[in-house]
Amino acid sequence: MAEVVRREVVYALTAIITVIMIADFFLAIPQVNAVAGELRTWATIISTMALTLGAVNIIRVHSRNVRKRVPGVWYHSAFLVFIFALVTLLGLTNIDNPSANPVYKWLFDHAYVSLGQTWYAITGFYIASAAYRAFRARNIDAALLLIAGIFVMLMNAPIGEVIWAQIPAIGRWFNDVGQVPAMRTFLIVAAFGLLAFGFRTLLGRERGFYGEVA
Amino acid sequence: MSQETIWDRLQRIDRRVIYWLLFILLILPFLRPLGLPISISPQSRSLLEGLRKLKEGDVVVINISSGVSAWPECLPSLVAVSKVLIQQKAKIIYWTSFVDGHMTFEKIVEKVPGFKGLTYGVDYVHLGFYTGAEPTVAQLATNIRAIFTTDYKGTPIDQLPIMKGVNSAKDVKMVISSDTGDYGDYYIRQWRIPYGVPFAEIGIAMLFSNYQPYWPEIVFGMTGGAKGGAELEKLIGEPGDATVTMDAINTSHLLVVVAVILANLGYAATRRRR
Repeated sequence: MAEVVRREVVYALTAIITVIMIADFFLAIPQVNAVAGELRTWATIISTMALTLGAVNIIRVHSRNVRKRVPGVWYHSAFLVFIFALVTLLGLTNIDNPSANPVYKWLFDHAYVSLGQTWYAITGFYIASAAYRAFRARNIDAALLLIAGIFVMLMNAPIGEVIWAQIPAIGRWFNDVGQVPAMRTFLIVAAFGLLAFGFRTLLGRERGFYGEVA
Repeated sequence: MSQETIWDRLQRIDRRVIYWLLFILLILPFLRPLGLPISISPQSRSLLEGLRKLKEGDVVVINISSGVSAWPECLPSLVAVSKVLIQQKAKIIYWTSFVDGHMTFEKIVEKVPGFKGLTYGVDYVHLGFYTGAEPTVAQLATNIRAIFTTDYKGTPIDQLPIMKGVNSAKDVKMVISSDTGDYGDYYIRQWRIPYGVPFAEIGIAMLFSNYQPYWPEIVFGMTGGAKGGAELEKLIGEPGDATVTMDAINTSHLLVVVAVILANLGYAATRRRR
């Protein structure tokens, strides 16, 4: 019984908030607008709390790995906990502007930035290798995709124009006549789908977010 | 047992060979630049035209939703856009949904000489980091002070002259978003559509096709990746990091295209044999 009541309260709250947010978008009623604004602030606060929760969870999971000496993992976890504690402590030394701390700034500038950019650049190597291995004209559809892909790739690099002056024009044709209308159709269909999802949520028929399928 | 032909081998080049070839081809242009001409896309051109319409004192928001890992793709456009905004004498408000967004802001300030003649808090400001995705973007459109009470250095927002009379989308003349994800969509839905604030997108190359359906009616201008940055640099006549990167993009793209063609030649030849 308590479970049913709890569930119904969640559905009712969802429906009420949905109605308020829709009314806020379409109607200029100061009271509704004020309530909607308050709800949006709550959403921001809740997501900030979720960030804190995520940090706590990371420490919990990795501390457990270290405590249990999980083979092949625990030393990575120990390093994570150490860096987490170090950056937090350095940040707390100047809470208003952590960048003012030279060690904190050095860590960000010389470790975080370099590692982030290296990680991102490595994906380029994987993409090059994956394109070579996977891109095969096994049938007409794949062949069309391959031809369009090559023209669009060469359109995006100035060397395409050097190889043949018409490449950018052909690439742009694939882009403007092929991709844009398809993407617009997809966006409109997705918007209708979202609308249907919204109505189902409003009517209590969409219960996926509560961990069950209606 | 059939003997392996060159066509078979073309389909099975070791991935390490591809990696080494790519590495060498990325290094070569830095040793001997190619300097190939860069053609300008209509999207970059319309972005610059939109920026040029701004008048002195107009408030522009730049949302940084790209991290330091995306600097090679997004930073050149952010730098070029900031240069133009300074030329137009616009007031610039930066904010970010990425924890490392302040580093992007500081890098922009470092790379744009025009900031030296401006006063922080009067002509430009960085309000800092926000969480909460679309609901927060919606709230920023109605009440900036509900999300930001101070700038990223901790100065109360009401002590910043630039923020005087600025508290919602109605007080902002333009919003530009630098993205690696969905934030551009949030600004379209929560700023551009309900309030009519002109919106421009600076995205990684992959996002270009996502926002192209909105151009030019909803998104007045956009750049995609380093190529877009190089186009903007050419348009404003100040070659920068993206222009240098274009040579590496040329060689790497060419390698991928050649590798794909070779693999397909091998595939076609062996299929006919079978």
